[in-house]
Amino acid sequence: MQKKSMGPVVRRTVFDAFVFAYLVMAVLSPIIFSTEEALHQLSRNASIFFGLSIVGAFISGLVSRAGVRTLGEILFAPAHKRLPQGEPKPWYATLWGQQALVTTLVTLIVGLIVTEASIVALLDKERITSASRLLGELFNPGWHILPTVIVHMVQTVYMAFVATLIAVPIAFVLSFMAAKNIMGTTGPGMAFYTALRVVLNVSRSIEPIVWAIIFALWVGFGPFAGMLALMIQSVSSLAKQYSEYVEGVDEGPIEGIRSTGATTLQTVWFAIVPQVTLPYISYTIYRWDTNVRMATIIGFVGGGGIGKLLIEYQLQGAWREVGCILLVIAAVVWIMDAFSAYVREAIK
Amino acid sequence: MSASVKDSVKDSMTDTILSVRHLEKTYPNGMRALKGVSFDVKKGEFLVIIGLSGSGKSTLLRCLNRLHEPTGGQILFKGQDVTNIEGDEILKLRSRIGMIFQHFNLIPRHTVIGNVLSGSLSRTSTVRSLLGLWSREDREKAQSYLNLVGIGEKAYYRASQLSGGQQQRVAIARALTQAPDVLLADEPVASLDPATCHTVMDYLRKVNQELGLTIICNLHFLSLVRQYATRVIALKAGEIVYEGDPNSIDDAWFQRIYGEGAKEVHIN
Ligand SMILES: Nc1ncnc2c1ncn2[C@@H]1O[C@H](COP(=O)(O)OP(=O)(O)OP(=O)(O)O)[C@@H](O)[C@H]1O
Ligand SMILES: [Mg+2]
Repeated sequence: MQKKSMGPVVRRTVFDAFVFAYLVMAVLSPIIFSTEEALHQLSRNASIFFGLSIVGAFISGLVSRAGVRTLGEILFAPAHKRLPQGEPKPWYATLWGQQALVTTLVTLIVGLIVTEASIVALLDKERITSASRLLGELFNPGWHILPTVIVHMVQTVYMAFVATLIAVPIAFVLSFMAAKNIMGTTGPGMAFYTALRVVLNVSRSIEPIVWAIIFALWVGFGPFAGMLALMIQSVSSLAKQYSEYVEGVDEGPIEGIRSTGATTLQTVWFAIVPQVTLPYISYTIYRWDTNVRMATIIGFVGGGGIGKLLIEYQLQGAWREVGCILLVIAAVVWIMDAFSAYVREAIK
Repeated sequence: MSASVKDSVKDSMTDTILSVRHLEKTYPNGMRALKGVSFDVKKGEFLVIIGLSGSGKSTLLRCLNRLHEPTGGQILFKGQDVTNIEGDEILKLRSRIGMIFQHFNLIPRHTVIGNVLSGSLSRTSTVRSLLGLWSREDREKAQSYLNLVGIGEKAYYRASQLSGGQQQRVAIARALTQAPDVLLADEPVASLDPATCHTVMDYLRKVNQELGLTIICNLHFLSLVRQYATRVIALKAGEIVYEGDPNSIDDAWFQRIYGEGAKEVHIN
């Protein structure tokens, strides 16, 4: 009980404190980071940040006590406290509104500096002419390599297709085990459910490009590594999405089938599967479409296919050939996109 | 002891198909939905359970076929104690007890006949059922029960294409395909209009009288109860407050069951 009621307050305070520290450091950065060396002193800078955070936490507490709502309060207060209190003010006249505005503006300014944005570089005459020369080559594709490009593109599409196809049955089985309404809320079922969810979430958060690097070291550079990378990613993302469909099914048919004396497997097959088939197919096609796009990028890091070809020509500076590859990729992605949208609309 | 007394004891035992003793159900959240309910059900009865919303009617029915786990007391089904059976035994019990629901609980995307055939799941092996390889006997049975409830010609429609009343008749046919001894009906007409409601109740009476199927049915409207029930039990806050002839429920009893100041509404 104590803990529950403390949560929002803690989150509010921490959020406000960090925002305060961030703003102060950003504004004072010319002083704090006066030298390149100062920028790299992690423990010194962290101390400044947390020191300022403590000041911020105090301010947040004081302001909240005075009945003024901070940005942290707006974001983290429990629902029942979010009710408007007193006469509504326009957002820019409130503390939280000003907090949000100032934070956004400061972030934009700092961001432009950090990304070394430069109008001068953008408008440099010499650079514009060399860039337009390269663009000219890019848009004058070297069609002579088209046969090779097509072979590699086909390889990439297959890579994505096989990865999806292998992932589907695995994800199908996992999806029921990752659904709360199947596994129950007690005992070993719940434990297994939780463990599986954690594994799926972790593996899903690892980008396929990272998997590709791992598998390229394991099975060697080439489309097989790329396929494995896409498959792992597809299994976890399909299973997650599928299990959400399973959790959303109507309980009525389940009860109806269970009441006939059906086994668990029969109940899943008769009461749940018909309810999730269409959303499964729809999401799977979307996944395949996504995989084709990802397969291209995965080629850059050793996944084979069209991506590998692209990076090879790019490193040689063969821009006309690169142009040809980019056009083929664009065409295939566009076709896949249209096809997947059409099929998903048709089976709705 | 004379033979005739023994016989009548044996008689009354075979007569009773279901015996509920001090049944308790407390949900995990602490809600005591049933507080020691006891009653007997005789073979061939049309027993109706009435009571306010929340009085525990649905809970009671779901305990009988172990869709919900009772937390105390005893249930005897055809003389066998089924309170603590487990696994396959529960599945077998459920197959002997058909059930229909307020919202029909069919599989909307399957055909009508497919829905009815799912009543034979418990006697079909898992592999055969997943492949849809129903036995010819079951197919014929399913079709004949569809005919019995008057929608034989709708066999190859999707269940979702049927009206509410027709869907409830499909549900009855599905339950009949189980070849059950008892049929549980949880407010089978609560989401139907008055006219359709009588059609469905008439079919329930038909299977009760023609097939001799014992029926235990939750209902909301007393007028329907008087028309169809052979006996009635009233639940109030998880306890039985009335048991007997539906026609003996007078105003005094009505107020006791539904609370002071309650007024009966009629449905025709
Ligand atoms: N799964 C559950 N978990 C917790 N409490 C429940 C659950 N199901 C029912 N209850 C509670 O048990 C009590 C009896 O519910 P039940 O559904 O059996 O009533 P009912 O007589 O069928 O009502 P109605 O006429 O509205 O269908 C209610 O107070 C209900 O809130
Ligand atoms: Mg109910």
